[in-house]
Amino acid sequence: MKLKEVDRTAMQAWSPAQNHPIYLATGTSAQQLDATFSTSASLEIFELDLSDPSLDMKSCATFSSSHRYHKLIWGPHKMDSKGNASGVLIAGGENGNIILYDPSKIIAGDKEVVIAQNDKHTGPVRALDVNIFQTNLVASGANESEIYIWDLNNFATPMTPGAKTQPPEDISCVAWNRQVQHILASASPSGRATVWDLRKNEPIIKVSDHSNRMHCSGLAWHPDVATQMVLASEDDRLPVVQMWDLRFASSPLRVLENHARGILAIAWSMADPELLLSCGKDAKILCSNPNTGEVLYELPTNTQWCFDIQWCPRNPAVLSAASFDGRISVYSIMGGSADGLRQKQVDKLSSSFGNLDPFGTGQPLPPLQIPQQTAQHNIVLPLKKPPKWTRRPVGASFSFGGKLVTFENGRAQAQQGAEPPHHVFVSQVVTEEEFLQRSDQLQQVLRSQGFVSFCQKKIEASQTEFEKNVWSFLKVNFEDDSRGKYLELLGYRKEDLGKKIAVALSKVDGPNAALKDSDQVAQSDGEESPAAGEQLLGECIKEGKQESEFLPSAGGTFNISISGDIDGLITQALLTGNFESAVDLCLHDNRMADAIILAIAGGQELLAQTQKKYFAKSRSKITRLITAVVMKNWKEIVESCDLKNWREALAAVLTYAKPDEFSTLCDLLGTRLESEGDSLLQTQACLCYICAGNVEKLVACWTKAQDGSSPLSLQDLIEKVVILRKAVQLTQAMDTNTVGVLLAEKMSQYANLLAAQGSIAAALAFLPENTNQPNIAQLRDRLCKAQGQPIPGQESSKTPYDRQQLPKGRPGPVAGHTQMPRVPAQQCYPHGENPPPPGFIMHGNVNPNAATAQLPTSPGHMHTQVPPYPQPQRPQNGWNDPPALNRVSKKKKMPENFMPPVPITSPIMNPLGDPQSQMLPQQPSVPAPLSSQASFPQPHLAGGQTFHGIQQPLGQPGMPPSFSKPNIEGAPGAPIGNTIQHVQSLPTEKITKKPIPDEHLILKTTFEDLIQRCLSSATDPQTKRKLDDASKRLEFLYDKLREQTLSPAIISGLHNIARSIESRNYPEGLTIHTHIVSTSNFSETSAFMPVLKVVLTQANKLGV
Amino acid sequence: MQGQAIQADFKQDSLHDAQMDYYGTRLATCSSDRSVKIFDVRNGGQILIADLRGHEGPVWQVAWAHPMYGNILASCSYDRKVIIWKEENGTWEKTHEHTGHDSSVNSVCWAPHDYGLILACGSSDGAISLLTYTGEGQWEVKKINNAHTIGCNAVSWAPAVVPGSLIDQPSGQKPNYIKKFASGGCDNLIKLWKEEEDGQWKEEQKLEAHSDWVRDVAWAPSIGLPTSTIASCSQDGRVFIWTCDDTSGNTWSPKLLHKFNDVVWHVSWSITANILAVSGGDNKVTLWKESVDGQWVCISDVNKGQGSVSASVTEGQQNEQ
Repeated sequence: MKLKEVDRTAMQAWSPAQNHPIYLATGTSAQQLDATFSTSASLEIFELDLSDPSLDMKSCATFSSSHRYHKLIWGPHKMDSKGNASGVLIAGGENGNIILYDPSKIIAGDKEVVIAQNDKHTGPVRALDVNIFQTNLVASGANESEIYIWDLNNFATPMTPGAKTQPPEDISCVAWNRQVQHILASASPSGRATVWDLRKNEPIIKVSDHSNRMHCSGLAWHPDVATQMVLASEDDRLPVVQMWDLRFASSPLRVLENHARGILAIAWSMADPELLLSCGKDAKILCSNPNTGEVLYELPTNTQWCFDIQWCPRNPAVLSAASFDGRISVYSIMGGSADGLRQKQVDKLSSSFGNLDPFGTGQPLPPLQIPQQTAQHNIVLPLKKPPKWTRRPVGASFSFGGKLVTFENGRAQAQQGAEPPHHVFVSQVVTEEEFLQRSDQLQQVLRSQGFVSFCQKKIEASQTEFEKNVWSFLKVNFEDDSRGKYLELLGYRKEDLGKKIAVALSKVDGPNAALKDSDQVAQSDGEESPAAGEQLLGECIKEGKQESEFLPSAGGTFNISISGDIDGLITQALLTGNFESAVDLCLHDNRMADAIILAIAGGQELLAQTQKKYFAKSRSKITRLITAVVMKNWKEIVESCDLKNWREALAAVLTYAKPDEFSTLCDLLGTRLESEGDSLLQTQACLCYICAGNVEKLVACWTKAQDGSSPLSLQDLIEKVVILRKAVQLTQAMDTNTVGVLLAEKMSQYANLLAAQGSIAAALAFLPENTNQPNIAQLRDRLCKAQGQPIPGQESSKTPYDRQQLPKGRPGPVAGHTQMPRVPAQQCYPHGENPPPPGFIMHGNVNPNAATAQLPTSPGHMHTQVPPYPQPQRPQNGWNDPPALNRVSKKKKMPENFMPPVPITSPIMNPLGDPQSQMLPQQPSVPAPLSSQASFPQPHLAGGQTFHGIQQPLGQPGMPPSFSKPNIEGAPGAPIGNTIQHVQSLPTEKITKKPIPDEHLILKTTFEDLIQRCLSSATDPQTKRKLDDASKRLEFLYDKLREQTLSPAIISGLHNIARSIESRNYPEGLTIHTHIVSTSNFSETSAFMPVLKVVLTQANKLGV
Repeated sequence: MQGQAIQADFKQDSLHDAQMDYYGTRLATCSSDRSVKIFDVRNGGQILIADLRGHEGPVWQVAWAHPMYGNILASCSYDRKVIIWKEENGTWEKTHEHTGHDSSVNSVCWAPHDYGLILACGSSDGAISLLTYTGEGQWEVKKINNAHTIGCNAVSWAPAVVPGSLIDQPSGQKPNYIKKFASGGCDNLIKLWKEEEDGQWKEEQKLEAHSDWVRDVAWAPSIGLPTSTIASCSQDGRVFIWTCDDTSGNTWSPKLLHKFNDVVWHVSWSITANILAVSGGDNKVTLWKESVDGQWVCISDVNKGQGSVSASVTEGQQNEQ
């Protein structure tokens, strides 16, 4: 198709291949007069700007020349490496002159653009060529058999290639060989071509078919084959292109007879030796394969002859042709639409004629009936065969699992038929050796449960103090008396402290020393701060101001009483049983000890008041701490302490906090530290989270503080997370399977990295199980399939993606279609804007029948707008955000009552804004009444290849809200996330579950019975929810019983628990529970043991 | 790890693309012999599953759709056609033929599965067409004319992640997918296209650094970071890594990965987006990785023909033959 055109009757030269941007130089043609018969001449440079869709070419510069040209070439001589506009423009003039121009100066608008000029030739210089090996060598040809070789570095005196040929004739073409630098060919209209060897300085061969009709208008060497060349004839009687091989110079190797009249110019593509352009007096421009003679392409041209044609050296698909109608056109041989051209013509017409009433007749022209033919020929087909430069010879693409697929086509693809067959290679790319090694170690640790020694190793290997601390803290999780050990880590060793206190007290005089023993315990905590050489809450004293209010009131009491000394007043007060006044008096008189002693006698209330007043009055630096100790108000300490004292605050919490508030307080402190600007403090927050056992927050904090992008730093994190989760699971009996968004993200990143290194099995092992996080479920599916295995570790080895053939999967309307896109035609993903997470399968027991019932809903829908499949945006929607900070409000939002699952009949109807879906922000995928079968109706699943990702809409309205609520928040310190996710990993085949073996049925009945009992006596809805959830999650246990996959030790342990339940000895049950957990394989029991503990604890609490 | 060589009978006709499916268990190849072939390569095997005939010219590229839509493969050819193939009941068949281009179709790329089945096709006629499956066997076509003068060589979709999703995504806010893809062409440009709210595609950005045809562009998979990354390679031998950190997605800065001595044909990101495989005209494949200081370093030469084995790449050994 035509790309550009310029209205010039001119010779043309493209800028060299190195040049960017691409320029086209035009020089007024000496042979043809333009329409104005003007004899003025100019040299112009245009830029080829393909990003401009118009047909116009941008003129960069015009130089008015005194010469007109027979030939114009642009050589790369002295072009700098960057290819800036330069090189040399070499022109052949009318009077034996060769002129060298500096194109960069022309573009710059300089007046002096001529580098050199030489008039040595006779007659017009029609032939010019630059040696491609030595670009300073230029060959020229003119009349009288004159051929000169010019050295651009020494332009004054040319050389000759040898003696002039006889008889003298005009030289119409010269061409340097493309393979051998000292070979030159020349041709003349008489039909003879001569090949010169410049080393020998003589002609070595003459090529002629002796027909006398061969009038050479063009000569070109084969770009690749040194001995081959083509000659074109402009004689109408012999309008041919002859292909010659000098090794068989008696006759042409091949004759291309594609033109009807004489050929005026040829051009052989340097980019593809199978493309030879020729233009002739038949007004055709053809592109042929000179090696076969086949015409590959005919350019759509006007009916004018072209006298010059050139490939663009830089852009191999582009060529330019100069025609006698005074136009230079730039074409692409890649086909395409010619609409642009037509538009230009239309524009021209309308600009010439004006609109509609060109002749001012007052009558608009009748609408023109454009002949249909023009319209239908807009499309220009490309070359019959693809040019070489479009054929990708090599490629390497990554695929899942770090595999690299590479292929290449033989580099010597040349002639020889014995080319080896092509290969596609699949290689495993491993770039992170250390990462893999460490990952492997971690796996071994998990297997061997050698956590303490692992932590110890890590401590020893730690490079930084902080790292060491973190590992020390983690390690403590696996040891007895973890709080005490935490304290030690924070620098508070009890024995050391005792010694220090002894020293301090011994300085006091004798009588007081007697108090030492009794005081020691009481004071030790109070003196921690000084002992540690730090001040706790030093700044907080200013709050003391408020307390002064107490004093006037106290004084008031005093003032009312009759005068006398204070002792007397106290006595009076005591005598009247007025402890309060007596205490006030003592306080007023600063008799603190008296006041406290009296207050004790006056009862709890008074004591508390007195303590308060005392603290208000006292301004010692440690008062606040003592206050907190006495008042047990640790929250305040944690909330308001100077963060420089985080260590002390944490120590205090470790020492005093009750188990139920411990995690919360640690969390709180961590959160404060984290929100502090100080990056050092931020990292310390990690320690708090470790104490709290809050995996999700640890991940968040760590990620914030560390550069987590490299595999090794991710490994650093994962090691800690895995260990901490393990610890939490052991110590807190939390359901550690809950995985928060962030953790899920990190874990899947980690697994992805492992997979990318080819360790697919390891990736699977680390991927958290039983989670409904979409990314994890997807990855799991991908890993399993990549491994060519069913998903392991699941009962009945079913993948979360249903692979069955689903007869019902095809709703009627689609069934008849044999056309593929049946896929979307099923309503697999019609989830409106609340698409489900992938890999989610509902609880098989929930409502098995619902599946079939639903199927026919919204059949045949595929929504273009509705992104099916896992919506990454879901999490952003907040459905699974870590709830830590706004727990309360979320709780309130939770509907309290269980509602039966409502079929999702038409999820599309539920816009994102659906209030109900927003009300359940953290709802993870919840069992919904669509069976996965229903949702994945691929008809052809035989191969099991189909992807059955996603079935469940989540957060869909109509879901049973109560399903999702349980434990969403987990206990403080537990990883936050959904606990329900277990549900979804139940295989769909549940419908045909095996029965629980009779001997174990007792377990189910006992546990269920216990839950029922608890439910009936539980009062608060939260507990009920917990129990509800527990009951559901125990399904995991029952499934394992059905599958008989539990080890005998666990089974017998469970029976023991059941027996203790029968005897209502729940503490014993809990002990057995702990025993099982500590001795069994984590993965085996993790799905149900934590929840069993919850039930036992509740039962114990409720006393059922 | 064992490398694997798949030897297929390609009758001396060049291979032009080889792509694994989502799971890495099936390999699709295409060739100048007009064929598209699918191999099962699980467990080191190489079983020819299908030899798909339908193109009338060399087939340039193949692309697997996400498996959630079934087993679907798209191929594009010099014959101006795009064919979408699908496996039905174990046999592969043509399910759709797109003939909307006037010249060679050089590149096909499936959009992130989150958007549905959408295929972008770049052609030598300068246009890019977008085929969207609308159900019941119908495909809707949108066309961007004159995307790249004289031809579009490559298309690559942006991952379906809103930049900054992990870092600062206010919860509860409606996530806003913006469909984008990059294209590279014979006008030496990389262009970024964005779907407007009215469903029309609009040129959002021109990335200029190459001085010759852009042969390939590859938008890096998202790994949860706010930065978007695109790799581009060109006839000029240069490979650029373009990054955009700002959330509006408007400021892209190029970094020269390397200047090769020959055409660079293809760039491919690893799934984890940390390694770039660069395939050059000298039939060499090199692997590049960004070092800690942000420099791109070549970590390996993969030179198949000579069986050179570098430290980190386990080379495929030629099987029996």
